[in-house]
Amino acid sequence: MELEAATVLAKGLATVSLFGAAIGEGYLIGKALEAIGRNPEMSGDLFTKMIIGVAMAESSAIYALVLFFLI
Amino acid sequence: MFWRLEREIASVGPEIHGTIFGVPIANSFLLSVGITMLLAIVAYFVIQKFKERPDSTQNIFEYIYESMLELTTQITGSEERSKKIFPVIGALFVYIGIANLIGLIPGVTSFTYKGDALFRTPTSDFNTTVGLALAMIFLIQVISIKEWGFWGYLGRFFKFKEVYQGFKQGVGAGCMAIVEFLVGLLDIIAEGAKVISLSFRLFGNMFAGEVLAVLLLSAVAFVVPALWLSLNLLFAVVQAIVFGSLVAAYYSLAVKDDAEIHN
Repeated sequence: MELEAATVLAKGLATVSLFGAAIGEGYLIGKALEAIGRNPEMSGDLFTKMIIGVAMAESSAIYALVLFFLI
Repeated sequence: MFWRLEREIASVGPEIHGTIFGVPIANSFLLSVGITMLLAIVAYFVIQKFKERPDSTQNIFEYIYESMLELTTQITGSEERSKKIFPVIGALFVYIGIANLIGLIPGVTSFTYKGDALFRTPTSDFNTTVGLALAMIFLIQVISIKEWGFWGYLGRFFKFKEVYQGFKQGVGAGCMAIVEFLVGLLDIIAEGAKVISLSFRLFGNMFAGEVLAVLLLSAVAFVVPALWLSLNLLFAVVQAIVFGSLVAAYYSLAVKDDAEIHN
């Protein structure tokens, strides 16, 4: 197999991890919404924490994206 | 075709403009220096003139300061701990926030000098983010050594004393202590992983923002890039907050808890 073909295949394989990141973020947002439903007074606080949590759970997807550009 | 606007994608490394005494000057470095000088000018000319009864600009600065302090206190848990680390964390919030946003101002990245872009977002350059992450993790190690003492600091990674005490209690507790010893060795690798994860997260978000803007412009140049730009504004602010709060969280893990101090 030539180098070009292997590079393109590797680029495609590197994006498989985005699947896990989406599942993790969906779970996190679901739990945050449930907590807001139980205690609507703290909803501003919980929303801020949820955004920070989503940015951290997205980081493995960002590693895959950086790898995609480097290959 | 007028639908599309072709531009070339920025490379991963920055473009070097020249050298000063042998040190290469990259195009993202110019904006970093510019932001530092801007913050120094604001600190001298605006903040020195604060009065007892605040007017509108002072109100804005105090609001930002108090919200940053409250966020840090929520992470570190106690007021005095957060006051100790707040100069570093507040500077991280402000510097990274401005650095992420300055690339989105229209026209800043359009100046060219001998064919390369003259300015580039500072945090979309891997050198800047790795430098920041290494400096922060090194600072946390130094603070940890100062707090626990040199042998206490090594004893957090190589837990010989816990293994000895565990075997004195019994074989079961001794085996648990061996597992803890291996986990302590893994903590050394975790410190390196912290540097990599901090730097890659910030770099990846900002660099992907630039590349996707070029790709969207070459597909549909009319309304769609504006949507992407507004999403990029949100990501820029959120990534600054995440970097600062992660450094604060690593700091609060590296020092003694309040319960241990009062013993």
